Amino acid sequence: MSGARLPEGFGDLERYCDTWGLHTTRERHAVRCGSTMEEIRDFYDAMTDRAAEACDLIDSYALDSLPPQVNNLMALVLGLAQAHVAVEIHGQPRAPGTPWPNSLKIVRGLPMLG
Amino acid sequence: MNVNTMAKPFAGVTTFTQSCGLGTAPVPLEPYRSAAFFERERTQVFERAWLVAGRVEEIPNYGDYITVNLLPGNVPAIINRGKDGTVRAFYNTCSHRGSQVLDAGAGNAKRIVCPYHAWTYAADGDVVSIPDEPSFFNVDKKACGLSRMSVDVWEGWIFVNLQKQPEVGLQEFLGTFADRLAGVPYVAADRPIVLQADLDANWKVVQDAFIESYHIPAIHKKTIAETFSSDENKFARLLDARVFGPHRTVSMYGNPAMSIDPAHKVTMLAYASGDTGSLISAGTSAQMDAFLRHDAVNPTGSDCWSMDVNNIFPNTQIDFGPGGFWVHQFWPLTENTSRYEVKFYVPEPLTARQRLQQEMYVARVIEVVLEDLANVARTQRGIDSGGNDFMQIQDSEVGIRHSMDQLLKWVDAPSVTEALR
Ligand code: FES
Ligand SMILES: [Fe+2]
Repeated sequence: MSGARLPEGFGDLERYCDTWGLHTTRERHAVRCGSTMEEIRDFYDAMTDRAAEACDLIDSYALDSLPPQVNNLMALVLGLAQAHVAVEIHGQPRAPGTPWPNSLKIVRGLPMLG
Repeated sequence: MNVNTMAKPFAGVTTFTQSCGLGTAPVPLEPYRSAAFFERERTQVFERAWLVAGRVEEIPNYGDYITVNLLPGNVPAIINRGKDGTVRAFYNTCSHRGSQVLDAGAGNAKRIVCPYHAWTYAADGDVVSIPDEPSFFNVDKKACGLSRMSVDVWEGWIFVNLQKQPEVGLQEFLGTFADRLAGVPYVAADRPIVLQADLDANWKVVQDAFIESYHIPAIHKKTIAETFSSDENKFARLLDARVFGPHRTVSMYGNPAMSIDPAHKVTMLAYASGDTGSLISAGTSAQMDAFLRHDAVNPTGSDCWSMDVNNIFPNTQIDFGPGGFWVHQFWPLTENTSRYEVKFYVPEPLTARQRLQQEMYVARVIEVVLEDLANVARTQRGIDSGGNDFMQIQDSEVGIRHSMDQLLKWVDAPSVTEALR
């Protein structure tokens, strides 16, 4: 399918590409901090259902040179790291008692989608 | 996940304060809020001690440079690598009329060209050209190189010293701490994640929050409390603490019984194949093997180990954990504000799941740092109230006591040699 942003079979996740699937840790962190628990839960449920399958597909490529659609899928998988902070750690979008926005800057992320 | 079920019950009350040769009296709070003390710290400590300014991996090639701002004096410096491979440091100021020659950041400059009138320097600091040189008055080009700053490298760590002629060399400054940490392989040192924050707290308030584990069950209840405490050791008492002149190391307990809740689908996905036994790690044990075998890493060889804190006086902290190392720096801005920087180093991921695990590690440590940062502002406001002049320090907080002991010594000592005695 031309113009698709995600590999075949993952099209239903495209609605998350401009939020949870943004390409830097800083942006994905901001999405989680600015979301309601319902929004986080929605992505978390949709994505965890497909995450193992997505990881297996990604692993059929070299991680340092993913084609654009697979790279977008990897970014969505990384969005789960943010969603898990809310769902699996805090039970709320942010750590209790921590301000948002705050003065902490991610000056440099990881080389790939970080 | 490598869960050790053979853990021994925790041994009970510790006596590290005594074994480190420290007193047990309450510790003064005035150094955390006094403008006069801040000034003495600036001149007696930060302008005399060797300060960690970076790692060699940040400037691997000829011409590579980084700029750093050495607080609290806000001294701008350039650290670069010359054609001869030597690491040098310069004050970031032009010999013509003083402009900064490089803007803040990092890059490659085999020639350093001042933006103001284009005086041009080689990477070793020598002037190579002065536009319209004949209009100057017998300018001595040899004497017009960039001003050198004292610099030395130890185990890949680049140190600078603001004394024009450092009273003691880096080796002497590090003393026996250098022997202890010799040969630690700094895995993934070329892959840092960098976080920075300007905080409403004295730099020591921030540092203190990272050198004790006593606060972890309270402040980090959901993020890492389970990693650092257990029914055996409810208050996260220490495994070990030792001092090396002004430097120190503290080894922290880790809960061997920690397990993953199967309802936590993302954690299960990322860590099911993991083997480092810790949620605060980003590498596999194969990647970390040589690191974890070093004597200074988990120095008591405990099955119940979470991390080690290694403080290089005055403001650098190198932490070791099951997944590698990370570094905090605490820089004074004023008597009640500071700049905090932390770098986590993460090896190249081999699979999508490992990359996810790294991202979860980053996400979790950011939450931990945010919990600490909210806490330090609250602490500073309390200290500034003036209601207390002293703090009570327990054995697990021995690092704080030692840090203050050393600072008080340095601010009074007429020479570095005496401060180190
Ligand atoms: S100040 Fe640098 S060239 Fe004039
Ligand atoms: Fe903390």
